[in-house]
Amino acid sequence: MSAIAEKPALDVSGLPTVADGPRAPLWWGVTGIMAIEGTMFAILVATYFYLRGAAVEWPPTGVRHPGLGITTLNLAILLASIVPMYLVARAAGRQDLKGIRLWLLVSTVLMVAFLAVRGFILTGLTFRWDSHAYGSVVWIAAALHTTHVLTGTGENLLFLALLLKGPVEDKHMVDLRLNSMYWYFVVLAWVVFYCIFFLDPGLLQVR
Amino acid sequence: MSVAEVEDVGYAGENADAEERRRLERTWWSPKGLRGWLTDVDHKAIGKRYVGTALVFFALGGIEALLMRLQLARPEARLIGPDRYDQLFTVHGSTMMFLFAVPIMLGMGTYLVPLMIGTRNLAFPRLNAFSYWVYVAGGLLLYAGLFTNTGPDAGWFAYVPLSGPAFSPGKRVDIWAQMITFTEISSLAVAVNLITTIFKHRAPGMSLNRVPLFVWSQLVTSFMVVFAMPAVMLCSLMLALDRLVDTHFFNPSEGGDALLWQHLFWFFGHPEVYIIFIPALGMVSSIIAASTRREVFGYLPMVMSLVATGFIGFGLWVHHMFATGLPQLGASFFTAASLMIAIPSGTQIFCWLATLWGSRPRFTTPLLYVLGFFFVFVIGGLTGVMLGSVPLDLQVHDTFFVVAHFHYVLIGGAVFPLLGGLSFWLPKMTGRRLSERLGRLSFWLVFVGFNVTFFPMHQLGLQGMPRRVYTYLPETGWGDLNLLATIGAGILGLGVLVFVVNALQSLRHGEMAGDDPWGADTLEWSTSSPPPSYNFLRLPTVAGRYALWSRRDDQPEVTGLRSDRREMLVTNLLDAEPDHRDVLPGPTIWPFILACGVAMTFIYAIFNPWGFVVGAVPCAVALIAWFWPRGDMDRDVIMEKRS
Repeated sequence: MSAIAEKPALDVSGLPTVADGPRAPLWWGVTGIMAIEGTMFAILVATYFYLRGAAVEWPPTGVRHPGLGITTLNLAILLASIVPMYLVARAAGRQDLKGIRLWLLVSTVLMVAFLAVRGFILTGLTFRWDSHAYGSVVWIAAALHTTHVLTGTGENLLFLALLLKGPVEDKHMVDLRLNSMYWYFVVLAWVVFYCIFFLDPGLLQVR
Repeated sequence: MSVAEVEDVGYAGENADAEERRRLERTWWSPKGLRGWLTDVDHKAIGKRYVGTALVFFALGGIEALLMRLQLARPEARLIGPDRYDQLFTVHGSTMMFLFAVPIMLGMGTYLVPLMIGTRNLAFPRLNAFSYWVYVAGGLLLYAGLFTNTGPDAGWFAYVPLSGPAFSPGKRVDIWAQMITFTEISSLAVAVNLITTIFKHRAPGMSLNRVPLFVWSQLVTSFMVVFAMPAVMLCSLMLALDRLVDTHFFNPSEGGDALLWQHLFWFFGHPEVYIIFIPALGMVSSIIAASTRREVFGYLPMVMSLVATGFIGFGLWVHHMFATGLPQLGASFFTAASLMIAIPSGTQIFCWLATLWGSRPRFTTPLLYVLGFFFVFVIGGLTGVMLGSVPLDLQVHDTFFVVAHFHYVLIGGAVFPLLGGLSFWLPKMTGRRLSERLGRLSFWLVFVGFNVTFFPMHQLGLQGMPRRVYTYLPETGWGDLNLLATIGAGILGLGVLVFVVNALQSLRHGEMAGDDPWGADTLEWSTSSPPPSYNFLRLPTVAGRYALWSRRDDQPEVTGLRSDRREMLVTNLLDAEPDHRDVLPGPTIWPFILACGVAMTFIYAIFNPWGFVVGAVPCAVALIAWFWPRGDMDRDVIMEKRS
């Protein structure tokens, strides 16, 4: 066994210490979270249709459409926030700290605007979570999604603080890109719920 | 390559190795004492804690079972009243499923996977620490409830309307619902961690078609966790909201639906069975390979069977609901799927038999448990095929026949392999071997005790004894078989006790295990027992499915990973070719603080919905502190800290 010291070696010292996309372990972590939460949202959608299928009257009496205009406007704000978040990811790819700060700020403003409009829509609803099962499922979906938007906004603010205060490490560029990826997921989830809730033929009739 | 052999190398090599070891020890240090408990992020420390904590809950669940058996030993016994009995069977079931079976299986994965795939830690060490503390919080909550006479009492699947606000006032069911939240958060975190680690940190050369069967089983299980557990998290949240803020998800008079609960719960609940069972299959493969010193027959069908079980497992849930009057066509689909699951299970059994066939296995304790698994699990599988058919299911639904069936499947399918697996891997974890004499004794006591306990229950069920009754009348004629079952439970309990004594005794008096006491094939046996905090002096490379058996004399080792910071090698998904180096964080208190914040949030929310808002504050603080760079990872800095 004297040959151990001379054993062929696989030298990895030349490999980089950061990698992007599916090469990075964190990409798999974030994808895992999206898979978990995506499953949760999917089950919520199934719940909506399960209850709808069994209902005598859907939506129940007294439910009014909160307004196709304002709900669509809010969806537009949310969709618009994808653009600056994409630009953040691109700037992170170039390690362009100025660009990152700018687009993070723009997207955060859009997120806050979205939250404000959402608050307005929710307070204007003609039903509560304890009115009927329809109310329960709409409110739980809105609450869970709002929690995600709040978290996303919080993460943006945290990144902004870090980018102003430092130290900013190479790995943070990967974090920022994954933060954007997660945000696309949060937006996409609401596109689904928007279609289900606000384009529901039953609800459109009582507009 | 054992440590002793490495140190036999020439003087110069020895010196360099010793120096490298010292550096690695300094970098990958684990804090000791209370501080170590709260801050350690080593997968081995956390894995051992998972296993140890789960065994404590196994003992508690076992004591509850013994109490129930004592009550049922004769007709009209007055040892335990109906209310206490309801709490006991609910907490027994919930403990065994959520606090014992899943955590111990994932805990074994937490300990073994990084060693088996040749890396230094899990991909997300802090998440791992967090998951453990959330799990502990869930367990403490459930038992705090039981000991204050607030133990959940609506059964481990908490059917509405019984568990709803109208029929279960008080906080008992809320405790159950939040315990679910805790344990599911924990399992989900472990699952994502294991998937990432298995995909990205395998030793160079360990392509996906060379991954050990145990690791495959953990991978499939983790995927099942990811897609099954969100269902129960969501429905337990809905139940808690129905009870706390008067939502109507399960309230038929306001447009809700009671069956919705059963669908959502069993969409999780059936895969849960496989989440418990599949890791056990991995253990069986490891033990059989080592005991026969043969490669397991049919690697590809074995892996395909695991994956197939993972998929089919999601298409069975309605067979728990045959008695709810579902449309016949739907029911027959689920009958077909339920019978279909026998195909991958059977394939694996035949592959193992083919491996054993004509070999001269060493009949050590682990293999005995595996053989016991064959016997018990096949019986459970057969009654499973019976229960999959609607007419028979309707006859024995909610009787002791079902109780017999699922104990044959779960104890046979998971606990037997687990006890075998613990006998197999404890020498690696502690460095000392267990006594074979006590091991055999424990096996025979467990095996005989198990069958004497649960076999009569088939007959009792066929005679019509319903499950979850705290007593029965003498005229039913169920007394004798119940007494027999209780005697069996005593023997089974004694067997587990002998196992525990054996394990504890080995810590002091056990023979030293050495690196590889079984002549086994996977990488964990190439490092010392117990392994050092950094697992391997130099990361190994792999040339075949059975890493140690296929190792060539000139098998290269990985060099060039920095030992002055926690560097991990990242390899690519399919072929495990070296891709880049990642840096892991060291010990930290923040995962523990975050777990405390999460616990506070959900426990507060049992009493007041504002708990979610108030609890968000400490959670946010802990997350920010967790995320904020402390500069201890020596990464490349783009922008220095500004004062």
